[in-house]
Amino acid sequence: MAAVSVTLLCGVLVLPAAAQAPPEQKQANLASFEFVWTTIRDQHWDKNPGGLDWQAIGAEFRPRVEQAATGEAAREILREMLGRLKQTHFAIFPAPVYQDLAAATGGDGWPGFEVRVVDGRVLVTGGSAVPLGWQVLNVEGTDLRALVAALQKDPAIHELQLERALAARFSGPVGAARRITFADGSDQPQTRELKLEPPRGELAGFGNLPPQHVWLESKKLGETGYIRFNFFLDLVRVMQSFGEAVEACAHCGGIVIDLRGNVGGIGAMAMGMAGWFVDKPGQRLGTMTMRNATLNFFINPRAGAYNGPLAILVDGSSASTAEIFAGGLRDLGRARVFGTRSAGAALPSIFTRLPNGDGFQYAVANYVSVSGETLEAKGVTPDVEVKLTRETLLAGQDAVLDAALAWIRGQRIQ
Amino acid sequence: MQKSIARWLITVVCGAAYAHAQALPTAESILDRFVEATGGKAAYQQHTSEVMTGTIAFPTPGLTGRLTRYASAPDKEYSVVELGPIGKIESGASGGVVWERSALLGPRLKSGDEKAQAGREAQFRAPVEWRRLFPKAETLSVETVNGEKCYKVALTPASGKPETRFYSRKSGLLLKAVATAVSPMGEIAVEVEVSDYKQFGGVLYPTRSRQQTGGQEMVITITDVRINEAIPPQHFELPPEIQALISKAAAK
Repeated sequence: MAAVSVTLLCGVLVLPAAAQAPPEQKQANLASFEFVWTTIRDQHWDKNPGGLDWQAIGAEFRPRVEQAATGEAAREILREMLGRLKQTHFAIFPAPVYQDLAAATGGDGWPGFEVRVVDGRVLVTGGSAVPLGWQVLNVEGTDLRALVAALQKDPAIHELQLERALAARFSGPVGAARRITFADGSDQPQTRELKLEPPRGELAGFGNLPPQHVWLESKKLGETGYIRFNFFLDLVRVMQSFGEAVEACAHCGGIVIDLRGNVGGIGAMAMGMAGWFVDKPGQRLGTMTMRNATLNFFINPRAGAYNGPLAILVDGSSASTAEIFAGGLRDLGRARVFGTRSAGAALPSIFTRLPNGDGFQYAVANYVSVSGETLEAKGVTPDVEVKLTRETLLAGQDAVLDAALAWIRGQRIQ
Repeated sequence: MQKSIARWLITVVCGAAYAHAQALPTAESILDRFVEATGGKAAYQQHTSEVMTGTIAFPTPGLTGRLTRYASAPDKEYSVVELGPIGKIESGASGGVVWERSALLGPRLKSGDEKAQAGREAQFRAPVEWRRLFPKAETLSVETVNGEKCYKVALTPASGKPETRFYSRKSGLLLKAVATAVSPMGEIAVEVEVSDYKQFGGVLYPTRSRQQTGGQEMVITITDVRINEAIPPQHFELPPEIQALISKAAAK
C-alpha cells in the first residue's frame, strides 16, 4: 500500500514533459505503446487482463500506433486500447496536463489554511489564517477558477489529483510569501500576503517513499472522541497515538475518525487500527489480489477495543488505505460513514512516464471489500451524504462533522 | 524387425527409468546426510541454546532492520525484528504457546497451521529430529539450483502444509526450500535460497537467506551465532498481553 501513496503523490508532483522533435515522434509513440502493452501483460493481476487476449490486443493496436501521424493520435489509440480493459486506474495523461498539475514551487511550507473544491469553487475549509468559507480566487497571478475549470474538463483528473494540484499552488519554502486574493463572505475581494508556515507534523519516511509530514490530532468534542490524521504513515508513532486516543475514550458516547483529505499510506495500518473497534476474531476489511498472491486485510482485535458508536468522515480526497479502513468497517456494520464519496483509488497503482512524455497510470492489484464490492473507481459511498457548502462554512460550521455528532447523540439516546 | 526395434526401445526406456530410479537416494539418506554435512548429530547434541543476530532487508521498498533470535532446547524461541519505520516485531514459542506482538497489530496468538509451522521452526534440533517433525519424506527428482545439481525432497509434516527442499548432490547441504507460509492474511508461496554456510560451535549454519514472497524479496544475513550462552529466562516468558489473551480464551 505504500506504493499507493507513492503513486498518488507522484501523480501530482511530476515535472513538465520535454517536447518531442517531430522526426522522433513515431519512434517515441511506438516505444510508449510497447511500454504500456508490456507493463499490463506482466503486471496486471489477471493473466488475461480484463478477460482479453492481450496478444491479440497488441497485434491489433501496434500497427495503428505505427501509423499514427501525431503524438495526440497515438495517445488516443493507447487510450482506446486501455479502454478495452473496462477497468479504472489505467490512464494516459497528456504531457501538457502535467504542466497544470506540476508543483512548481517546491518546499514544505503551507499558508495556514486548507482548501477543498466545492461546486467548482476553491473554498477555505480549515486552518486559521483566513476565515472559513472564503473563496480563493487567485494565487500569485494564477486564476484558480480557470485552472479548476480546465482540470475538471479532463475526465482523467479526479478530485484527489485536483486538490493535490491546488495544494501545490499554495505551498513553497517556509517563510516565503504568497499573494493570494480571496472573495470574502460578502464576495468582496480581499488580498492577503501570507507568509508560508512550517508544515504540521513530523517528517516520516517509509523505505523508498519520500518523507512526508505526518500529523495526528485527537480531542474530545463534548462526550465524543475525535481523531484526525493526514497519512497512514509514521507507523510506530501514529499507531501508538491512535491507540492511546481510543483507550482515553473508553467511556465516550462515540468516536469520530476524520479521514477527509487522508490519501492513505501503509495498508496494513488499516488492519491495525480496525483492531481497536472490532472485538470478534476472524474478521477482515477486504482482500487484495495480485498476480502471485492474495492477501486478506485481517483484523486482530485489541484487548481494549471500543464498542460504542463509530463515525468515519470521508471526502473525495480520502484515498487508498483511508478507503479500505472506512469501507471495510462500514461493510462489517461497525461504522457509519459520513461525507462525500471517496476517491475510488483503493488499488495499488503506479504512475510513470512514457517515452513520448505522456503519463501512464496502471494498477497492479485488485481490492475487494468484505461485502464483495471493488472500491476501485467506485470509492466508498457514505451512509449519510453530507456536502460542504459555502454558507455553512461561512457560518463557521462543519456540516459533515455536525451530522456525525448528531448521529452519535442519537445513538446515546437510544 | 519392427518388433525387434520396439522391444529394444522398450528395453532402453525401461532400463533408463530403472537406472534413474536407482540414481535417486532415499529422502532418509539425504536428510541424514545433511546432518552429517553440517557437523554431525553429536555436534548438534552439544548445543543447548543459541543467540543469533543479523540483519534483515526488503530491497524493493527499501526497508532494513536488525534481528535477534534466542532459542533453547527443546522448543523455546523468542525473536525480535526491529524494522525501521515498522518498529519492533516480536514472536515466540514456549510451553505450547506460539505468539506475536507488534506496534502494527498488537498481541496475538497463533493457531492452526500457522501455529504448527512456527512450532516446527522453534524446534531447537530440527535437522536431527526430522523424522518426528515430518512423518513422510520422499525424494522426487534431481533439479538444478543456481547451477548446482540438487535432490528435490518433499516433506510432509504431521500437521500443516508440506514443503519441498533442495539438497546439493555434491555437498549434501540445503540450498533451497519452497513452502506455503500461513497467516491470517492467507496462504502465500515462499521460496527461500540459503547460502554462505559458516561454522558455529561445530555446526554449519547458512548465514544468508534470500526469500521471495508475493513478489517481495527479503534478505537475511546472520552475523553471529553464540552457542550455549546463558539466555535470561524472561526472554522465554510470555508477555503480559499474551497471558491476558490466553486467560481471555480460557474464560470463553
